Amino acid sequence: MVTKKLALGLKAGAVALAVSVATAALAKDVTISVWAGGSTQADSYRTEAIEIAADILEREAKIQGEELNITVEGKLFNDGWDNFKQAVTLAGESGTAPNIIVTSHADIAPWSQAGLIRPIEDYIDQDAWPVNQVYDNLIEIASYNGQLWGMPQDAESRPFFFWRPHMKAIGYSDADIDALPEKVKNGEYTLYNVIEDAKKIQDKGLVEKGKGFSPRVSNGPDYWQFYQSFGGQLKDTQTGQLIFDKQAMTDMYQFFVDAAEMGVTSKTHLGADWNQWYSEVANGKAATWHGGTWHYKRYTGKEGLDDFFGNIQFTLIPSGNDKGRANTITHPLVYLVSNTGTDDDAAIAAQLIAIASEPRLNSLHAIKSAHLGIGSEQANVDLYANDQWATEATERLLVNANAMPNHTEFGQYWQIMYKGLESAWTGQKSVADAVSGVESELASALGDNIQIR
Amino acid sequence: MRQRIGLLGLGFMTPALVMVLVFFLIPVVMTAVFGFTNMGTATGISGGEYLLTPKIVKQLEIRGEFDKQSLTALSSNRYQVTEAGLAKAASDGLKSAYIQGLRDSLLGREYSSKRDFERALKKIKDRPRKVRALKKSAEYFSQSILNRRYLTDHEFKTALAATGVQLSATEFDQVLSASYTGWIWTTDNFTNMFSKPDTWVVAFNTLVYVLLVLAFNIGFGLFLALTTFYLPSGQSAFFRAVWLLPRISPPVLYVLLWKWLTWDTGFISTVLGWFGVPAFNYMLGSVGSAWAVVVLINGFVGASLGMILFSSAIQAIPKSILYASEVDGANRWQQVRYIILPQLRWPILFTTSYTTLSLLTSFEYILLSTEGGPGNTTNVWALEAYFTALNNYAGNLKYGYGAAMALVLVTLGVLVSLLYLRLFKFDELVARPKIEN
Repeated sequence: MVTKKLALGLKAGAVALAVSVATAALAKDVTISVWAGGSTQADSYRTEAIEIAADILEREAKIQGEELNITVEGKLFNDGWDNFKQAVTLAGESGTAPNIIVTSHADIAPWSQAGLIRPIEDYIDQDAWPVNQVYDNLIEIASYNGQLWGMPQDAESRPFFFWRPHMKAIGYSDADIDALPEKVKNGEYTLYNVIEDAKKIQDKGLVEKGKGFSPRVSNGPDYWQFYQSFGGQLKDTQTGQLIFDKQAMTDMYQFFVDAAEMGVTSKTHLGADWNQWYSEVANGKAATWHGGTWHYKRYTGKEGLDDFFGNIQFTLIPSGNDKGRANTITHPLVYLVSNTGTDDDAAIAAQLIAIASEPRLNSLHAIKSAHLGIGSEQANVDLYANDQWATEATERLLVNANAMPNHTEFGQYWQIMYKGLESAWTGQKSVADAVSGVESELASALGDNIQIR
Repeated sequence: MRQRIGLLGLGFMTPALVMVLVFFLIPVVMTAVFGFTNMGTATGISGGEYLLTPKIVKQLEIRGEFDKQSLTALSSNRYQVTEAGLAKAASDGLKSAYIQGLRDSLLGREYSSKRDFERALKKIKDRPRKVRALKKSAEYFSQSILNRRYLTDHEFKTALAATGVQLSATEFDQVLSASYTGWIWTTDNFTNMFSKPDTWVVAFNTLVYVLLVLAFNIGFGLFLALTTFYLPSGQSAFFRAVWLLPRISPPVLYVLLWKWLTWDTGFISTVLGWFGVPAFNYMLGSVGSAWAVVVLINGFVGASLGMILFSSAIQAIPKSILYASEVDGANRWQQVRYIILPQLRWPILFTTSYTTLSLLTSFEYILLSTEGGPGNTTNVWALEAYFTALNNYAGNLKYGYGAAMALVLVTLGVLVSLLYLRLFKFDELVARPKIEN
């Protein structure tokens, strides 16, 4: 009797063991880390969308009879792009980069050469939902060397802003201000008109000296817009080389020098404090400025601006002269899959990215952070379609936007351009000296990679 | 007996030698090695692979030395189902039904893009049902080396030869060297550095920074040491403790206090505002005030070192000499001029040389306060090297160039040390006392 019970017990134990071994063989535990650069709490869906996607992918796997346990470790970096890129690059060099990186599309070129990232096109079906409804131009921005390296995470654009009450005070009617976006687009209202009006507003005592025109206080894609306003081009599509247009760069530097000399901005404006800048532009302490579409969130949130549309008009960046055009740059962030982990890990990371790009999930990010959507189907998502800022900004700005080129040497060109601008703006060098300094530095540092015109 | 003492001495020295090796020699040697490379974000540090991309093909085309036809052949991304590919796929364990399906419907067909080929694969019934597996199976039929990474030059050469593209020996080598993704040895960093006008601006800034802060450190340290010397001991201890605060407070906090003091919403502007002076950002509002703030921030930190050294040196002067001078009717100034300062020669020389060297390489307080601004006007050499190599907005980290800049600093540091040693007659300082000879 006892032996029979023992035998039964042993059998039951063996079965239980076999079952647990079998499930253990099927169960797969994966940890996917996500680092998002330039992200405040408003951008939390950059990582949270991956968490939601993980839940969906686990359910899909379960239906197919696999047990998949994904742990997503998300981290938002709001300590400046410089520190974020330093962290990612050095982590990548030591083989500990996060599985998914949310960063500028401009990083694709150098990071792909370094082998820090894997092309996402190797892991996802571009003909399938939701990738097939992502805007073509954004797909192109996320591509390099004919390969799709990342998925666009959001889109944005960088408009010019006017404080309506101040514009009215110098004689513009509401109708005039409403017509401004069209006039800017047609090149009838230029950057020099901007600083003339800024001066008028300043002279009337509506804003303090140096606050008539309040540009971005640090380096950013924004300054390339002004280069384009004066006719500059960034890349030769035929040869793939970057372009340095001396005349356009001279005119652009000259514009900021002129603005500083007129007193509508200060010679030492670059390097000013961001928090202070935000509080000024969102409260009528600056007359004209330029920023990003996501600033909407900050102005109406932290800075307490109640009536955005009643107080602020936004347009493309006006043209500077007849050679240039009104323009805006979109600087989409992209989800990239790093070289960390196995190929299977990368495949899971890529699938999570694809799911996170679904219109409904992406709209959560777009509306929470005041960014623009990445796909055409977002117009059919209530949350997105009924948001005034998202739709107006998409119609007025995004359709006219271009992006910076993906090129391994672009980062260096960018730094050299900005240093030249700083030296001319602060008066350390004359505009001509600054431009020729940039030219000689570009020639020696970039060689064949740049065309000097 | 003697030898045992020698070993004992060596034993005592070992930790120091290890420290010197690990914390000084190796970093310097590494800096020197990095300085002669073009290492950066795109090349990586750990070496490279071989990768032929459309961008490289275009660059070769611009050089104009290549046959157009071979370039076109190189830049094609062709797929074709061949028996060889099928055999390889079969030996790697792909399902035989899938291989049969490929043979039946696609054998011999050519596709000019990966995407088209994958679309064709998706029509096969027994295909792998996972995206990644399907895409991997496509690679057996690639007829191109475009956008594929090869770990060694041998693998790359073999693959390049296998494409059947006709290249001359020189063309072959050019493709090989252009396709290398890693870093190479070069002296360009130094030629670029010295031909660039901005280098001299930063060098001049560094000179200004070192001289002004040095003068402030020594002058103010001396002033504090002298004034506290003549105070009653309790009071002097208090003042010395107060002036040590900048040195012992965490740099981030210390600079934050300076920001509260100097920003246009800060203490100075608020107080001056009561007298009708408009608010002004003293840290970044003008080049002059930015420099003043940079010098003061660093100066107050450094002054404490001088203060302590000078104070102890003054304390070491026999009091009898001072008493005697008072009997002779010397006033305070005469005591300082004729008794104290001559005795402080060595501490002053030591502080000067030590401070010069540490200032040459220091940038942390500038980084925390002005970040080299406004508009790059307070940027110094060490800070520029840091930005270049490790930290900038575009994420374009140039380890090689930054290391070359650091190497210049190391060289300069060694030269200045030698100069100081000679100038201050270090030999005499450490010579055996003559009296005991």
